[in-house]
Amino acid sequence: MWGNKALVAMRLILSLLLLLSAAIPHATASSDYHEQLNLRSLHPSLLLASFNFQSNTSLTSFEQQNFRYFPRSLGQILQHANTRELHLRFSLGRWDAESWGARPWGGAREGGTGVELWAWVEAESDEEADGRWLTLTNALSGLFCASLNFIDSTRTIRPVMSFEPAGNHSSSTLDNLHLLHGTLPREVVCTENLTPFLKLLPCKGKAGISSLLDGHKLFDASWQSMSIDVKPICEPGSSDCQLQITQTIDMVLDLQRSKRPRDNPIPRPVSYEELRCDLSKDYHSHDTCFPLDAAAQEEEWILSHIFGHPLKGTCPLADDGIDPVCINVPHARHVYASEGAHEHKDESGYKRCFALSPDKDFEIILPQQEISEKSPLEQPLLYAERSFIGYGQESGGVQAILTNPSSTNAIEFVYLETLPWFMKLYLHTLKAKINGVEEDIIKEMYYRPALDRKRGTQLEIRILIPANSTVVLTYDFEKAILRYTEYPPDANRGFDIAPAVITIGDIAIRTTSLLLPLPTPDFSMPYNVIILTSTVMALSFGFIYNLLIRRFVAIDEADQWDVRAVRLKVLAVAQKFMSRFLEKRSKDGKDD
Amino acid sequence: MSASAHATPMVRPRVESASVPNEVQSTTDDAPVNAVNATPKKKEPPPEKPEHIRLRILVISSWWAIIMFLGLPVWWYTTTIYRASLPLDEMRDWADGRVCRPVFPLRISIEADSLQDHESQHLLRTTQHALDDLNDFSAHHLRLQLSPPTNASVSANGISVEGGDEEVALKIRLLPGTETKIDLQAYSPILDVYYTPNQIPSSSSSSSSLATSIANKLRELFAEEQAMIAYLLSTSSAPPERSPKALAPEVTDSLAKWTTRSMKYSRTYHLTFSLFTPTAVPSSWDIEAALEEHMKPLLDSFSSISNFTIDTQVQLYATPGVSGSVLKKADLSGFINAAEWPLSPSIGGAPTVNFIVYVGDMEVEGGGKSWLIPQWGGVVIQSDITDLRPAMLIFSNQLMSLLGAPETGSLPLRLLTLIRVRSAGLLLKASGTMGSLARLSDALRSISIPKSVADGVYTTIEHLNQACEGLGGKEGLENARIAEEAAEKAFFEKSMVGQVYFPDEHKIAVYMPLLGPVGVPLVMGVLKEFKAWRKRRMGGV
Repeated sequence: MWGNKALVAMRLILSLLLLLSAAIPHATASSDYHEQLNLRSLHPSLLLASFNFQSNTSLTSFEQQNFRYFPRSLGQILQHANTRELHLRFSLGRWDAESWGARPWGGAREGGTGVELWAWVEAESDEEADGRWLTLTNALSGLFCASLNFIDSTRTIRPVMSFEPAGNHSSSTLDNLHLLHGTLPREVVCTENLTPFLKLLPCKGKAGISSLLDGHKLFDASWQSMSIDVKPICEPGSSDCQLQITQTIDMVLDLQRSKRPRDNPIPRPVSYEELRCDLSKDYHSHDTCFPLDAAAQEEEWILSHIFGHPLKGTCPLADDGIDPVCINVPHARHVYASEGAHEHKDESGYKRCFALSPDKDFEIILPQQEISEKSPLEQPLLYAERSFIGYGQESGGVQAILTNPSSTNAIEFVYLETLPWFMKLYLHTLKAKINGVEEDIIKEMYYRPALDRKRGTQLEIRILIPANSTVVLTYDFEKAILRYTEYPPDANRGFDIAPAVITIGDIAIRTTSLLLPLPTPDFSMPYNVIILTSTVMALSFGFIYNLLIRRFVAIDEADQWDVRAVRLKVLAVAQKFMSRFLEKRSKDGKDD
Repeated sequence: MSASAHATPMVRPRVESASVPNEVQSTTDDAPVNAVNATPKKKEPPPEKPEHIRLRILVISSWWAIIMFLGLPVWWYTTTIYRASLPLDEMRDWADGRVCRPVFPLRISIEADSLQDHESQHLLRTTQHALDDLNDFSAHHLRLQLSPPTNASVSANGISVEGGDEEVALKIRLLPGTETKIDLQAYSPILDVYYTPNQIPSSSSSSSSLATSIANKLRELFAEEQAMIAYLLSTSSAPPERSPKALAPEVTDSLAKWTTRSMKYSRTYHLTFSLFTPTAVPSSWDIEAALEEHMKPLLDSFSSISNFTIDTQVQLYATPGVSGSVLKKADLSGFINAAEWPLSPSIGGAPTVNFIVYVGDMEVEGGGKSWLIPQWGGVVIQSDITDLRPAMLIFSNQLMSLLGAPETGSLPLRLLTLIRVRSAGLLLKASGTMGSLARLSDALRSISIPKSVADGVYTTIEHLNQACEGLGGKEGLENARIAEEAAEKAFFEKSMVGQVYFPDEHKIAVYMPLLGPVGVPLVMGVLKEFKAWRKRRMGGV
């Protein structure tokens, strides 16, 4: 019972958090478009930049296909595939929760490594939903230049406990909605995915905060996540519905690396003069250096250096009076903004926002400063990590370590695992240990076993973790042997296993993806087999055939194969030819 | 000279030395035999029994039989590529135009309630005569008929067809009037002919001015359509005697442009109206009302031929692919910034027609502000978008040309012409594709032909037959469209080409390690036995 209470309390906290971060759309519902950039320093010398773009369009004009803020290319796809709600994620890198704290947006706007897509598709039957899902993935694949079309039935699941629709759907459509979820952990997110993403924005990276976005910097980040969410929102009790599209980009930039000039991006050793050494050490000399503790030292950075170019004014469509740029630093930190910008300090003491002048470039400069005060890091609700255990080519195991850092609240969550069919899970080996003691903490489980080449394993477990404890979840699996043509071109790299999704109420945490090495054959094998088999067959045939048709005689009666005579004949012919040739040459010489 | 002198002594001793060991060997090996028998080098085996020889021949021939009649067929059968049988002759007949003669008998009904029966009969005859005299193209033939007099009230509901399969291309209404006047109604396919009473031809005269003027008017109305069909026939592979006399070069030119301009026929088209602006303003436009007022009526009249879906979008910060305030003709193709403008192709198979309003004050060289992009859409440059009427009118015209409608005539007539021209085009195209497929299948014997291709061919031929029967009407158009689609699908079947990269030589190479070692003993056995047989015969004789 108390677990439920804790969950309710946590949800409250969460909703408060969400309210704080997303207070904007509630403040002014009149504007259809708004955008905001949140900057936050992370230790050590990292910067988290969260871009948020949101626009609403009335459902009627969407259905009539009159697109203004909503991108037409995406809208057409959604209508064609009867998709009522869509969530698409492109992610790269690993969020280091231990030193960076809680995830941006509580993890609600990020996906697992690679591409993740889940959508609610309206259909009468499962088969129809599958068909529409196929249409959707294929169309999105073209739109975002990603291999989304490889999300086939083996990578698609229908989560039962993990995801809830975020939009308001009428109860009549809700009955016909099918949730489908697909992942592509192998996909490498890159610039070709950012370009179509920017094209969906009304200001297209030409003005406003989106002008900072640049493939070189985004994909150089230590961690980055792009998300697109489309959901209907309806005022309760009214039929006036809106379709909301939210696009976010979050990235963790390494300040040192970002400041590297573009024309000279190769990292080089720091020159001796620039080394910051602790001079108090007695062994300090011209060739020994103990690095100075820079924890209290806040690094200097300039917005345009970090992103490669300055922020070009505001997007004129976002005219709702919300400050487009915010920075989360203590008020004691010096922040200099360019002329024409107005600073608004938050009463919390750790946040300030800037109103920009519409046409001028905007710039923030944070000088180097010695400051002990840090903006507080939010503690994540749960630490999760997952890794392979076991050895050998035949079987293996997975271990997930889930830690609840809170000293007071228990957490109930759903752990969702999507495994490919060639990773055959033994469910009876699934064990959960809490603080090293095996205990029954699994409240509920949904398991759909894999079918070879048809669908993957889907495992959803509801677990309750008491405060301040660690759960270790382990299970064993067997590696299947694939068919010759089923191996990808770089088979020895291994197979990517999609991250596990941990759903706690509205937010989601994802583990990293795993790389599973499978037994790989020698790919010249078929030809070797053909040649070997042929040789064996030819040998046995020749043996039997000769046995049957040869006549057996005494050795002195047999025909002799006279090698010497043949050689002599060849020599004679050669000599004849040679002498004729030489004769001819000497004749020619005489003529000369 | 010296070289050859050198060479001979060098070889000679070798020959001598080589012959010596031979003798030595024979003497040492056969030493005891030699003592008894001086001449033979080696002992002859005892003669074989005939049943042994027979048995060996039997063994060899049974091996050969097994390999020829079992091994090879099994190998051939298991490694052969599947080629579904195609009705090649029928396909070639279609391509050469031997099966179907695209003939368009256009029925034109004459409604002459004010005339006596025999008078109207006579008028019809004389007009038909006049028409036949004018017409030199047998495939396009106007046929007059009298409409039943009971149906006095003319339903003027556009191009709706009365009386089932009797599709009437045009209705002529003969009305008594004070002066001779021929009027084509703008919104229905009706030609009003006013005549003065003295113009009614007497039954004795073989021609009359009224008949001639009606015939001339009809010919004028259908001249463009006739040229279009003539052009289609002349560019297809139909036998030359069926094509009409050569078209004038300028007509051919304009018709060639017409074919490159018009889009592929489809049952549904997506229309996308986009507002592109280089800055942030204007960010909205009153497109819904403009479409409702200026576009919907036109699209409704097209409903029997094609359906349309409409979507609109506004795109800010859109820079065109070319810059400058005066656009050169050569720049126009690069104006659409395909890399940045989100004009993604449509999903779901139907083609998209793009109409673009670009906010700016550029001008095309020569003064225009709009142009058409063949098979793609149209562009209008406009600096003020408060009034969208001019742009919509331009788009309407562009849409008509993109869909391939003729340029002259009233709207209903143009639409009816469009149906006929489209069916003829699709029919000829599908027939041509059938011919290409037949040629392809002949030329590349090693490609596989899956069953789906054969199915597609049969579907095509079936629908071609139906289209040929109902040519000129909507049924014909629909059948021609299905035929064309099926033909294209069959021709572009993916799995056909895969085998091209794995030819028979490759197959032989893979099986060489088996075929070589097995084949050589088999052949040698036969040769040896043949030699022995000949020797036996020679010896026997």
